[in-house]
Amino acid sequence: METNPDFNKYMDRYYDFSGQWESPSRCGLKIVNRKDGKLLAIATEIYRQNPGTPVTEWCAPLASAIMKDFKSSPDRFIFIEHTPDLGSKLTFYGETFDLVKFEEADGNLRNPSWQRLTPGQVDDLMEG
Amino acid sequence: MKFKLIYPRWEKLEGQTIFNLPPHGPVVMAAEVPKHVEIDFTDENVEDLVIDDSPDFVGISMMLTTQVRRGWEIADQYRAMGKKVIFGGISTMLHAEETIQHADSVFLGEVEGRLAEVFSDFSRHELKKVYNFMSKPPDMNLIGPANRDILKKDLYYHKGFRMVDLFHASRGCIYDCYPCAVRYLGGRGFRPRPIDRVVEELSQMENNRLFIVDNSLALDTEWEKELFRAMIPLKKKWVSHTIEDKDEVLDLAAQAGAWYVYQAVFDTSDYIRNRIKQYHRYGIAVEGTILLGLDNQTEDDIKRLIDFLLEIELDLAEFTVLAPFPHTKAYSDLLKQGRIFDFDWNHYNAGRVVYHPKHMSAERLAELYQYAWDTFYKDEPQTMKMFNLINKVVAREISDGTYTPRRRDIADLSFGKKVTSLT
Repeated sequence: METNPDFNKYMDRYYDFSGQWESPSRCGLKIVNRKDGKLLAIATEIYRQNPGTPVTEWCAPLASAIMKDFKSSPDRFIFIEHTPDLGSKLTFYGETFDLVKFEEADGNLRNPSWQRLTPGQVDDLMEG
Repeated sequence: MKFKLIYPRWEKLEGQTIFNLPPHGPVVMAAEVPKHVEIDFTDENVEDLVIDDSPDFVGISMMLTTQVRRGWEIADQYRAMGKKVIFGGISTMLHAEETIQHADSVFLGEVEGRLAEVFSDFSRHELKKVYNFMSKPPDMNLIGPANRDILKKDLYYHKGFRMVDLFHASRGCIYDCYPCAVRYLGGRGFRPRPIDRVVEELSQMENNRLFIVDNSLALDTEWEKELFRAMIPLKKKWVSHTIEDKDEVLDLAAQAGAWYVYQAVFDTSDYIRNRIKQYHRYGIAVEGTILLGLDNQTEDDIKRLIDFLLEIELDLAEFTVLAPFPHTKAYSDLLKQGRIFDFDWNHYNAGRVVYHPKHMSAERLAELYQYAWDTFYKDEPQTMKMFNLINKVVAREISDGTYTPRRRDIADLSFGKKVTSLT
């Protein structure tokens, strides 16, 4: 179940982060500076290429770190979780996108909730 | 220093044959405890726990999610008595944030080369809240023989028949399977033990029957072949998870004493049918492990799967329902979709439904789980199928001179408790 190593329209760089219990971790990342001034981040789970914590399990700290690294703020930040199609026989390893909403506390994001998106909806959000 | 090491009890699945195997985590941990420390081990699944004693230090080793609540309860009682309590083991790692609330310390990761520091800190009253080695696996050369001397061995007999001992030849896994947390626990790589260290440990084990608990033996062909070649002279008989489907590997496995394997049966394909036949050709029996409740299963799929299991002549079958353990993709997906309705960890025994399945109600899945057990074992009960498997291994042991007769002196005991008169 290798992730396609090629970057694609939803992932154009790797992002290294300190995961749960400070595990060195890595995800794919796409940053879009939207016309409306908002910053959209797509974090991709890269499975075997991620040595540490999965994106979903570290969603709020990861989103907070990306938001700060790219000088955004909770009111101007949109976060999408992406799991790529692994070509597995099991349907639940297909490609998914989820818009993640958070509560804000002291400039950090917490308590994530997920809303499934279609690729078309992701493209619309990237356009802004 | 007296160190009381406890393995908490958990509630066994209703209607299932109960087998208590000697636990593996505590004996691996015990091998690393400094020599000046006296270990007093209690496996609460086979003996009563006495809490009004006075150990210097208490350790709680937990493997299953269904152990954590009992582990926390024990810790709370000892801490109320002023004792320091440290937790370790697989389910400590899976439930670390909650476990910390009941602990003086939690140990995360693998123990080799690390416990001298813990006991030294304890002696100096400087125990750390967290010992975190999650992303720092030890040098595999450091993993020596487990310390099975802590076990009260007579408690792991059923009517005079000894249970298998647990043993491991590797850690980690290259796969990222949907219901499994190994990627989180053991990293995303395969870490085999050096063969000479494996043989060293196997040679010291007096039990001829083993369960090799590695996640999968089918992860590195050359290592797997080398392992089996090295095991042949030891004449052990063993159970394991999947073995690679290459004839050369299976032939070596059979010579090395492969008794039966756990093989996941996830569909009704010819691949599975041929896989079972291939094992049988080499005299290796198969216990199918069948996970029910995945999102790609309808009610009809489950019924077809059970019919298929009867056709392919599995030696045994074990049915479970999906339990979304923390730090698995199953947990992430179901959590994201708001489908988990029960977070009582005592219910995560893979026999209860704790989430909303995609194609049926939770109640219907629970019924199908029961239907699966009843249907598969309708014509030949589980105990009879197990008896057949034991007969096969006994025949092999008699032929190669490794057979140890049933112990008549404890034939009226099952895991330390009286069950019947001696026959």
